[in-house]
Amino acid sequence: MNWQRVWRSLRAEFGRSPMAKLGVVLILAVFLMAIFAPFLATTNPKAQDLSRANEPPVGFTDTTEDTRLVDGERQTVTVTTRGTLEYPLGTNQLGQDMYSRLLYGARTSLLVGLLGTAIAALAGVSVGIVAGYYGGRVDDGLMRFADVMLAFPALVLAIALIGLLGPRAVDIPDPFVAAGLVSDMPETTVLPLTVTLVVALVNWVWFARVARGEALSVREKNYVKASRSLGASDRRLMLKHVLPNSLTPILVLATVQVAVIILLESALSFLGFSGTTLSWGFDISQGRDLLATSWWISTMPGLAIVVTVIGINLVGDWLRDALDPDIEGESGGGMG
Amino acid sequence: MEQPDDSDIERRGFLKFVGATSASAATMAMAGCTGDDEEELENGDDGGNGDGGNGDGGNGDDGGNGDGGNGDDGGNGDSNGDDGGNGDSNGDENGNGDMDEPFEITMTQRQHPTTLDPHNHRETPTDNVVLHSYEGILWRGPEGEIIESLATEWEVVEDNRHRFTIRDDVQFHDGSSLEPSDCAFTIRRIVDPEVGGLESPQRDQLAGTTGAEVVDGERAIDMLSGGPNPMAFQNIASYAHVVSEDWISERDNEEIAVEMNGTGPYRLADYEPEEYVRLEKFEDYWGEEPDVDRVEIIAAAEDSTRVSQLLAGETDIISAVPPNDAGRIESDDSLGIADIGSTRILMCPMVYNEEPFDSVEFRQAMNYAIDLDQMIDEILRGFGVPTSQPTLPGYNGHNSDLEPYPYDPDEAESLVEQSGYAGAELELEYPAGRYLLNDELAQAAAGFIDDLENVSCEAVSRDFGTLAGELLDGDLSTTPSFYNIGWGNTTFDASQTLTPFLTEGTAIYHYRSDEMEQLKEQWQVETNADEREQILQEANQLAHDEAVWVFLNREWLVYGINGRIDWDPRQDEYFLAQGMNQA
Amino acid sequence: MRLTRFLLRRTAQGILVVWGVITLVFLLRFITPGSTIDFVAPLDASPELRQRLAEDLGLNKPIYVQYADYIVNLLQLDMGNSLLKGRPASDVIFARLPATLELAIAATIVAILFSIPLGVISATRRHQPVDYGATGFSLIGISTPNFWLGIMLILIVGVNLGWLPTSRRIIGFGPALELLIFEGRTIGIQVWFEHILLPSITLGTYFTALITRLTRNGMLEELGQSYVEVTRAKGLPETLVKYKHVLRNTMIPIITVLGLQMGTLIGGAVITESVFNWPGLGTLIIDAINSRDWPLIQGSLIVIGVGFVVINIVVDALYMYFNPQVTFE
Repeated sequence: MNWQRVWRSLRAEFGRSPMAKLGVVLILAVFLMAIFAPFLATTNPKAQDLSRANEPPVGFTDTTEDTRLVDGERQTVTVTTRGTLEYPLGTNQLGQDMYSRLLYGARTSLLVGLLGTAIAALAGVSVGIVAGYYGGRVDDGLMRFADVMLAFPALVLAIALIGLLGPRAVDIPDPFVAAGLVSDMPETTVLPLTVTLVVALVNWVWFARVARGEALSVREKNYVKASRSLGASDRRLMLKHVLPNSLTPILVLATVQVAVIILLESALSFLGFSGTTLSWGFDISQGRDLLATSWWISTMPGLAIVVTVIGINLVGDWLRDALDPDIEGESGGGMG
Repeated sequence: MEQPDDSDIERRGFLKFVGATSASAATMAMAGCTGDDEEELENGDDGGNGDGGNGDGGNGDDGGNGDGGNGDDGGNGDSNGDDGGNGDSNGDENGNGDMDEPFEITMTQRQHPTTLDPHNHRETPTDNVVLHSYEGILWRGPEGEIIESLATEWEVVEDNRHRFTIRDDVQFHDGSSLEPSDCAFTIRRIVDPEVGGLESPQRDQLAGTTGAEVVDGERAIDMLSGGPNPMAFQNIASYAHVVSEDWISERDNEEIAVEMNGTGPYRLADYEPEEYVRLEKFEDYWGEEPDVDRVEIIAAAEDSTRVSQLLAGETDIISAVPPNDAGRIESDDSLGIADIGSTRILMCPMVYNEEPFDSVEFRQAMNYAIDLDQMIDEILRGFGVPTSQPTLPGYNGHNSDLEPYPYDPDEAESLVEQSGYAGAELELEYPAGRYLLNDELAQAAAGFIDDLENVSCEAVSRDFGTLAGELLDGDLSTTPSFYNIGWGNTTFDASQTLTPFLTEGTAIYHYRSDEMEQLKEQWQVETNADEREQILQEANQLAHDEAVWVFLNREWLVYGINGRIDWDPRQDEYFLAQGMNQA
Repeated sequence: MRLTRFLLRRTAQGILVVWGVITLVFLLRFITPGSTIDFVAPLDASPELRQRLAEDLGLNKPIYVQYADYIVNLLQLDMGNSLLKGRPASDVIFARLPATLELAIAATIVAILFSIPLGVISATRRHQPVDYGATGFSLIGISTPNFWLGIMLILIVGVNLGWLPTSRRIIGFGPALELLIFEGRTIGIQVWFEHILLPSITLGTYFTALITRLTRNGMLEELGQSYVEVTRAKGLPETLVKYKHVLRNTMIPIITVLGLQMGTLIGGAVITESVFNWPGLGTLIIDAINSRDWPLIQGSLIVIGVGFVVINIVVDALYMYFNPQVTFE
């Protein structure tokens, strides 16, 4: 693997493509949002203020027929609320700040997306290389299993697995809060562990397929045959020759998979299977029953997902155009 | 809805029309074409439907006020001229049970019935269908009081022998007449797996009952119990809907699940599982003739779907209106909201032997921490009242001396300090979307607790399946230490809530104390009504003082209802056409 | 016959895959917490009652006995009774299947109808506004979660504009068609169309976007190849060249991807149905999972697995059609 050549072609393509630049900008923005959420947030995203529930974004005025307790009696009243700068993207049904929730939601999405992809890649590439390198019955067995996994709708499998594992979550301490740089912000970021494992489990097949294809072709190359005849061990051959040669397509696939996994995570949260309440998908589902009255609750986190995934896809396009790997099924997995 | 646009009318017309075509195989066309009187609607006849006839039918949307009177016209349109005529005549006779004009309504609930067998389920949506056709030996008024039904008299013969005198003027839908043996068979079918080919999930509802037998030479039955059975009448008023012994014996369970043969005011006209149930008036009904002639019951799980069905005139009554849509419905002139407190309470049980909930002070602090009034106002939009104890007002055993815990975060913080559990980190697990806005309520409760300086709390969404599994496996160690659940009590007796949650040995108990166990010993056998009420009130006092739960609200039943129907909702969540009148 | 042998081989493989699915579901069933019995039995049921209900439903036989029973019954086309609905699972599933098929087919039609022309135009008018529009659309399309798209469509088209109904499927395509043919009334089709439009757009957008991208990229690659130049030199009209040769070669990767994306289509259908309250297999599966109605879950997944296998065989056959040189090994 010639890393210098890879780097050169990446740079050349980056210079040529305005879309690649846009992608990088978007991704950087989302990463910065996620990392520095405690500084950018104006309110603790979990702090509720029921008296300020369902306020529209700044610049909007919202009028609804509502029922309220007036002197202990329920009456129908016309409620008019005006968006304020205090809550620039409005509030949800608990009076939580949608803007701050958006920032923290980015953390969840990126954590699950990156970690889930890493696990899926690790598992998939291992299986794929072993299958492709040994071929024969090992290959048959593993690939039939992969077929079964593909015949199993990912979303359904994910739901079943979450039922099995329970919604476990890991609290990751927020370094900025721990260091005392900000106060009044959540002390921990919740990583929904089950969801992360499940999205990895559901998506490893795509890595396995790509890695297997690469391993099959590398296996037949002369220098590999030569090393083998010189007595190199299988493990060494796989690590030294097969793996490095598979890296380019796997890198491109991984980029796309981050997007796929972010979408899958939001779908799972949307259906109520998340391990955290600070997630874009969760907010979308919360706003769904309030569509007729409070449109912003579902709209804002959805836009955040779209922008993030567009950024990742643009970066994926850039890598693919620059490195030109041969991957079947370009955006394997898709959402759900 | 003053000027319904064409598509509304079209859709409404079409709905009725679809009903007509799919029901054409049945003996009647339920679909609600009011235009034709006695004659059965034939497919060809309603040709004008859908397209031509609808334009004028718009008055349907004016519902019960105004001249149109009959909202149903909107859907129809046999011919324009007819329509107009109907509207007028209805206007004149507005409110009197018009004999010529079938009064037909559509009701939308959240779930479809899972069966039509009255003894093989435990869900309200199924009750809402089968209780049109099957009747109990006793029944309840809208406030929960026991009233007569198929039995005219009921008395305690001995502690373990309760006698019911059965009417002699009652017919089943198949024409056979009701015998006391049918009532005895019904009870046995529920409590005895050997009878009626059924392991009834209602068996525990008749706990203590061992069987029933016909009293020789009288139109009466005796219900038998293993010992004293203070709950006998309460139970019979809520369960044991009477079936015909012969009819059941001739059928296998698959058939019983899709057919009905009761004594009730409506008989089954057409049933398509997962789609609709259609019922028509039973002409030989023994009791008061209902106003509504035909009923269609459909279901839509999504709140927004039911609301839009009501707004579009596709249905007449919807259950479980989301509170934030209530204002919109109420401000529509042709629609209204009908509401009543349900038999269900929402609460957050805390497991008594797990830290930090083994401290009474800590449990009380949780109650002081939440601003329940604000939650009810802002989240439930006023649909709900705070609870102070496991038992609702009006129930046997309710202790009216108790007040809900007030909102007092300072008191909460100092109680947490006293408990020695300052700094506790809690998780409140709630079953996603299971009860009216319980997600939001649980999140808000967790938010209030989290607002305390010395406690942090996070709400965790669970799917009901897994959560129920952990609660019900009879193993207290798998039960989440702090969770949200709702509990309906349809026997109107405190013990049906106190026993399962607060006394040892049930599947879902999470609290035990010697005091409560002693009280249980008493309320299970005490047959003197006053003495027993005292005991139950004492138990409620204990539950309040011990803060066994974070007490939340009484769940509210909120219905959206078309103005052409006059109806008072029932506490027990049943919405039955026999209680509805033409407005 | 090469084709016959190929089909036989693929069918055998397909049966193996379906068997794998069955086995996997069975494994899941026995390791998933939350027993079916918790749903059948009331919350306050005594342990004794629960025990007897479980026996009644055959839930406490050993796993391998249940597994063997299930396979034997399945061979006789019996999927068992839905635990909650008390009816044969196959009845429940096949009652729901048409709704999902309609949705999937409608979405596929939406996708093919828009994507291929869009991709072709985009490729032939490179760096023109229409190309930017098409690439922009396809980028957004593959980046949008479809449940959110569905919600936005409901919000804008259904709630704000009031043009289309927001949910439900009032009439099936079959009955609607009957109405048209036997009674000459179009209202059925019209209502069917109104209700399926938003869901099929929701489900179809991702695929429209994906195929547009693939078509465009494939066309660009193919247009650069020399045989196109040769054909063009022979004097064939430009549009014919485009469609016949280039598109034919472009179809190969598209078909491959579509075959692989079937799982996505089904997963997308699950969530689309949930958003639009569409009474199909997807909502059925979610309900079944939520209530641990395993016969229903198993049956649905088998039906989906069979569908997946069949579609992949069709995809391979199409492959053969578009690229006769392909050998199936």
